[in-house]
Amino acid sequence: MAAEDKDRFSMTAIFPESARSLSLASRYGYDPWLVGRFLQYIPDIDGFLSKMERPPTKYIRVNTIKTGKKELSGRLKSKGFILADTEIPEVLSVKNTPLPLGATNEYLLGQYYIQDLASCMAVEALDVLPDQAVLDMAAAPGGKTSFIAQRMNNTGMVVALEPNKKRTRSLVFNLSRLGIYNTSICSIDGEKAADLGIKFDRVLLDAPCSCEGVIAKDPTRKTNHKPEDIDFCAKKQEILIESAIKVAKPGGLIVYSTCSFAPEENEAIINKALQKFRIELEPINHGNEGLTEFAGIKFDPSLRNTRRFYPHINDTTGFFVARIRVKS
Amino acid sequence: MSQYRKMTRDERTMLNRALDRWGVFEIMKEKNFLIKQDDNVKKVCLVSDEQALLQQFCESGLVIGEMTKQFAPTLQGADLFFRSAGCNNLYVKVNENAEKLVLYGRDVMGDSIIDAPKTLSENVLVAIINSNREVIGLGRTRFGSDLVLQKGKITITTISDAGQYLRDEDDEKSAKMTRSR
Repeated sequence: MAAEDKDRFSMTAIFPESARSLSLASRYGYDPWLVGRFLQYIPDIDGFLSKMERPPTKYIRVNTIKTGKKELSGRLKSKGFILADTEIPEVLSVKNTPLPLGATNEYLLGQYYIQDLASCMAVEALDVLPDQAVLDMAAAPGGKTSFIAQRMNNTGMVVALEPNKKRTRSLVFNLSRLGIYNTSICSIDGEKAADLGIKFDRVLLDAPCSCEGVIAKDPTRKTNHKPEDIDFCAKKQEILIESAIKVAKPGGLIVYSTCSFAPEENEAIINKALQKFRIELEPINHGNEGLTEFAGIKFDPSLRNTRRFYPHINDTTGFFVARIRVKS
Repeated sequence: MSQYRKMTRDERTMLNRALDRWGVFEIMKEKNFLIKQDDNVKKVCLVSDEQALLQQFCESGLVIGEMTKQFAPTLQGADLFFRSAGCNNLYVKVNENAEKLVLYGRDVMGDSIIDAPKTLSENVLVAIINSNREVIGLGRTRFGSDLVLQKGKITITTISDAGQYLRDEDDEKSAKMTRSR
């Protein structure tokens, strides 16, 4: 990468407006700069924009600490729910709900958690094992944290970081409702993870991001999302991923994820880390290959191993996942 | 930041007695518990083996009960005991209609109890369970087993229930709406 290219991602790439970008922006109510960018990195843009107009598919994750998948799906089906299996055994897609998902007795009793499939993919990629030490660097409200703890069958140690006291409350409640007891919560920012003085077998960094992937849930992002948001998030993400690499054991795994499509928040962050640290990318079974080029800049070819999840292709919220192995 | 510490010998003895009463002593005797001291309240937290070595966190493990003169389980504690042991002598099983009412925080009428052990005493903590034997609430008996099923009277006072969170959330939302008006 040329010297001038190294700093190029300190500014979000903006592309010249075209008749197509203007027409799509006007038709679906987006800021034109955003559609101009989507045209560069989202396949089948018409399919994507049209999908974002519809409510996203709902998913639930069976809490196997409290119940079994067969038992829960049987009970929900008897109440009129229509459920279908997904690529992740614990996750069911919900095709029809006779009552709100958060208002069933089964929900109150902690037998399932409402969680998008893509979000569960990040935990799937983390490949946690019982008795390991695992760090979740941005934990609230606890969906991924509790899935990690569930996969570890309440053994080992999960450390969940959440600096925001208000968000900690919902995290505590969710872990309690789900019967999780192998998790400790620490009110520090992920940037200071090294202060814990612990090396982890697994680190999950679901980084704060510009949330481009959740426009279907929050349509205000069509117009209140600004290029500066991407810049701001990218800077924070760069610091956080360095922090994650520093607290991972040699040979350990880090999963980096965001709910954004922006390459500056995804592939570019991983590309920089690849240049700076002794890490490598490992393939992930689900999703679409990551970008190896954006805005005329070529990334490391192994960025192909990262994964993008698109609402119109994968029927999930927009998501990015990278599985990073720290070299021994 | 809350303070966590290991249990004293007396506290562990008190806990073991309670675990025995709830029918889970054999299952829980090797588990690790920490005390979380919040002002004057001593909370008992179940933690994994690895977590027992750590004490610098603001929250750790699952709060299964509180220590006063005796150990009193929380809803999550009672739920864990029931899932672990499947059966004990400190419960009342309620019908479907009462299940809905308990989840709204209502007390239990004797008519709606479909099963209760014959050894229940007055003024003891019991798990309120549904027909699937899932803990939906915690209650205190107003009568012993001979009168707990009597018709037309509240026989169990509901202390906590699994629907509390939703009600708290609604209260928070309406408080916010009132403030913003």
